[in-house]
Amino acid sequence: MGNLLAGLHLEYVEPILCGMMIFFLVRSKTARQFLFLFALLCVRLSCSLICLPLLYFCGRGIEKHLAYQTYFYVYWTSYALEAILSLLVIYSIFRLAMAPLKGLQTLGMLVFRWVAAISVAVAIGVAVTPHLSGIKFMVAMVTQLQQTSSILTLCLLLFVCFAIRPMGLSYQSRIFGVSLGLGIMATVSLVNAAWLTHSPNMYSTISLINGLAVGLTLLMWSAYFAFPEPKRRIIVLPTTSPFLRWNQISMALGDDPGYVAVGGIPPELFAPAELEVMRRASAKMTPALESPAAMHSLSA
Amino acid sequence: MKLIVRAFVAVLVLTGAAATTQTSSASTQNKVVAARTSMLPIPSCAPDDPNACGMSQGR
Repeated sequence: MGNLLAGLHLEYVEPILCGMMIFFLVRSKTARQFLFLFALLCVRLSCSLICLPLLYFCGRGIEKHLAYQTYFYVYWTSYALEAILSLLVIYSIFRLAMAPLKGLQTLGMLVFRWVAAISVAVAIGVAVTPHLSGIKFMVAMVTQLQQTSSILTLCLLLFVCFAIRPMGLSYQSRIFGVSLGLGIMATVSLVNAAWLTHSPNMYSTISLINGLAVGLTLLMWSAYFAFPEPKRRIIVLPTTSPFLRWNQISMALGDDPGYVAVGGIPPELFAPAELEVMRRASAKMTPALESPAAMHSLSA
Repeated sequence: MKLIVRAFVAVLVLTGAAATTQTSSASTQNKVVAARTSMLPIPSCAPDDPNACGMSQGR
């Protein structure tokens, strides 16, 4: 199977597909909207452009150990950057998907930020063990971060897929397309992680599965961005919809409260005009409170 | 269409969940258990591997 992969030379296809996807993203004028996806694709493209010559010239002009070491560090640095960018892509997709429901968007993003912060803390915590140091520590940390990112991606995909109607999206929407692609890559990444302990060689069956999954995802994304996106539907929710209720509740939760000074206020805090207004108001109120006759006449 | 898409998504999520359980047991053995989803071959050996992880055999 390793020979089959080597024969297919799938690795040379990736930069072409990445470049094509970047082209469609720019052409559709959505690069700003999907900024983190754009950055992720640029990192992938750069990594391929550095690694492919190393693979090609390994043993032909570059000594194989030096080539492997360089390849190893470029690959893992790119992997670390992608792990961080993946989290940001999920965050931006969630924000775009929830744009019509502002209350839920705010609440969801708050929860997401906490989950992401905890994920990073857990990734560092898992990597900090006595027998891990240097590059092994980095690999362990990035691995954990990528796995958490993959799980978060799958959660996002589930959410987008099953709550697509209340968000006014359809299966032709780019938000869904990007989520589905990320979900495919996340699943393959998790399967990879489980498989990798059994494959000590760089060219194995999982590499072939990897290549096919990435190719399929990049082609799918290209198709989504090459064709115009259908407009977002008008969102009509029943008055009993839990989405509507939770959105209203979430909007109220985010309100900035007003403040009332109840004591300990020095007079210097007030402007002379304010003091004068208060003096006049109290002068008006004092006789009214002091004379009960006046009160009776008022009530009469 | 809706059912097919939902079924596909459910399969993806279940596969991911099943793989996660296997990864947890693999990571306790202190091995490299990560792979960037990419068409590039995965450098799963240490940087100072004497065989250069079979890099020159791929061509």
